[in-house]
Amino acid sequence: MRYIFNFPDIGEGLEEGTILQWYVVKGQAIKAGQALVNMETDKIVTDIPSPKAGTIVAIYGSVGETIKVGSPLVEIEIEGVFGAEAVAEAKETIKIEPIEESASVIGTMELAGNSAIMAASDEGPSKQKQDDKPVAKVLATPLARAMAKDLSLDINKIIGTGPSGRVTKEDIQNFKPTNQKIDSVQKREQPATVFSTDEVTYEQLSQIRKTIAKNMLNSKQNTAHMTLFEEVEISELIAIRSKFKQSFSDKNAKLTYLPFIVKATVLALKKYRQLNSQLDLENDRMIYKNRYNMAIAIDTPEGLVVPVIKNADTLSILQLAQKISELSDKARDRKLTLEDMKDGTFTLTNYGSIGGIYATPVINYPQAGILGIGRIVTKPVVKNGELAVGNVLPLSLSVDHRIVDGGDASRFINLIMGYLSDPVSMMME
Amino acid sequence: MLNTLKQPKEKIIKYNPEMIFENFDPREDKILRIIDNDGNVLDKELMPDLDDETIIKAYKSMFFARTADEMAVSYQRQGRMYTYPPINGQEAIQVAAGLLIRENDWLAPAFRELAIMLAKKVTLKEIFLYYMGNEQGSKFEFANHVLPICVPIGSQLLHATGIGYSIKYQKKDEVVFGFIGDGGTSEGDFSEALNFAGVWQVPVIFTIQNNQYAISVPVQKQTKSVNLAVKSIAFGLPGIKVDGNDFFAMYSAYKEAYDYARAGNGAVLIEALTYRKGAHTTSDDPSKYRTKEEEMEWDKTDPLKRLKKYMDKNEIWKENEEELIEKYKLEIDKQFSEAETATYPLSDIFDYMYTEMPEILKKQKADFELFQTWKENRK
Repeated sequence: MRYIFNFPDIGEGLEEGTILQWYVVKGQAIKAGQALVNMETDKIVTDIPSPKAGTIVAIYGSVGETIKVGSPLVEIEIEGVFGAEAVAEAKETIKIEPIEESASVIGTMELAGNSAIMAASDEGPSKQKQDDKPVAKVLATPLARAMAKDLSLDINKIIGTGPSGRVTKEDIQNFKPTNQKIDSVQKREQPATVFSTDEVTYEQLSQIRKTIAKNMLNSKQNTAHMTLFEEVEISELIAIRSKFKQSFSDKNAKLTYLPFIVKATVLALKKYRQLNSQLDLENDRMIYKNRYNMAIAIDTPEGLVVPVIKNADTLSILQLAQKISELSDKARDRKLTLEDMKDGTFTLTNYGSIGGIYATPVINYPQAGILGIGRIVTKPVVKNGELAVGNVLPLSLSVDHRIVDGGDASRFINLIMGYLSDPVSMMME
Repeated sequence: MLNTLKQPKEKIIKYNPEMIFENFDPREDKILRIIDNDGNVLDKELMPDLDDETIIKAYKSMFFARTADEMAVSYQRQGRMYTYPPINGQEAIQVAAGLLIRENDWLAPAFRELAIMLAKKVTLKEIFLYYMGNEQGSKFEFANHVLPICVPIGSQLLHATGIGYSIKYQKKDEVVFGFIGDGGTSEGDFSEALNFAGVWQVPVIFTIQNNQYAISVPVQKQTKSVNLAVKSIAFGLPGIKVDGNDFFAMYSAYKEAYDYARAGNGAVLIEALTYRKGAHTTSDDPSKYRTKEEEMEWDKTDPLKRLKKYMDKNEIWKENEEELIEKYKLEIDKQFSEAETATYPLSDIFDYMYTEMPEILKKQKADFELFQTWKENRK
């Protein structure tokens, strides 16, 4: 017998949960009470155990995906079919519904807007698309509800004539359905080439990858990217950092170059508000941000995440260092929340910590710019007319050329370079 | 039956003035502890006179309660039961009290008292029914003098004092066990109940299960007092702070409190220092307000592990724990299935609140019956 286990409401009035980890695979025999999946909800992160013993024949949803309460999580063959047989059956059932398209079961993942937030967990930036979502549950008698359900009518679309607009038995009987829309499976824009499974390995996109893809394309399609490259000699900064590294370490903070770069960038943003803004074409206006919230791109095994240091202009180098480690730890542990990700006004991407000298960073849309930090290179430089060994930090600044002119971009990066080559000047502001 | 405990044979009615209570003054923040975390006896003088058989039964009761508790959380996560408050870590307190409580003694529980409810012969099926939202879960078939689970914080202690007064008035040989958590001590009801229990000298044993957290509020933010037991002083009651994860300490404290109350001396207050190992309820995630390190530290004091170590050291535990747990799981599953397949007479939600049903409720009940009829006819 087949048993479909629907995601239960394990809190009090939960609507959905996000899959963090599967503990079972198709074809696996399981015991009642055995953990199936680890899920994150608004209230808790918890394991969901199986209510039945049997064999898993289908798994719905992959890691990062949001499952509505009441939607299927797994299908279990309770008796009769075990082991290999179940696997064979599982392979058949898998054809039935590629997860994204089973609109009735899982729903289509859509971004909540043009926000450039990239969440590690699916805690908020993306939500399931729902058409005709009712504002609130309508009032109705139990009988009316049962009748509507019986007739497959959406009771929310029926106008009630009872007390306080309550839908009654009569309202159901008198209701004439108009324009009943049949949900059609969403059309794919490009039919994917079909490969044999010998040639390729198919893998479902994670929620985070879908978000990244959407955001990147969105940025490239909606802004006029222009990138400027520069080099800055930072021997003084290196000396300051080595000097304070230990004392920071004693305070449990790791001192990297990033806090200095954040500081320098914020100071420059204060001078060139064009870089700390966004364009509102719909209303023919500019939106200048009064806050300096520095988004930091962080590489994680699951993909790129961009948490935000709020009010970075009010923080000391020590506080910036602490905040950066806190956000990196959270990113690594997938503990970032929507709150950590939102309201960035400018972005830094420190790809040089891994490798790369110059890049053409993609703007974290709808922000106006992004500063890429390359790998520090030791190379000959000319100082006071003489050849010397220099420590050169390469910078790559991408701006939205619609709102930032070349001159402003150059002046902005010059100022940052000034601060970084002479760090004490930052204190003079 | 797994949930019944043998009563100890000894029967001391007269109050012994050599009280442990007097040697553990809460004002000095003393704590009664008899065995350490490794099961070593710290003070042989204080060791209660319990035979091996009783100790084994007590351990089994704790083990059964924990298994049932863990399974309850699992059932909830499977969507088969609603919100549930786990007792994990607090078993020693309740099982120690369960050894003393007699059929005619009263239990006024809050909502984290599964183990002593079982000792009072409430069935797991009934407890599961309660957490499935079924009114029948508060109608105890075998348990005598047990009040329904009480969610409004602190109100149960007023009931306990009131029942205590009626016992005294009717000159009955009965004792009331009232339970509350650390958070509950901040409620006015707590003070009112203790005040009148003191004034009237009623036979009530108040237990504060101090499990360190009122949902997410740590006990340090709950009171400025040196501990919770010291609150007894203001009400003129004997009070004691006990290591709630030490079964022997809990039993000794209860034994003395029980004899004291039963002999007509009045009420007592016991603060049982323990740790809620699980979440406040299944809707809570403790990792948001406490650290793993703290949990690990408290885990060393786990009441089951401690009693087990004591039994191992004294070579009185001979059973196979794996077999036992399987046996318990079968029993628990059986009771859960019974609860799950039980009918829910929905008329219950209309019937019990008023002697005379108000018009609005009559109208709702009529609507509901109309629905039932329609459903029947459709078949």
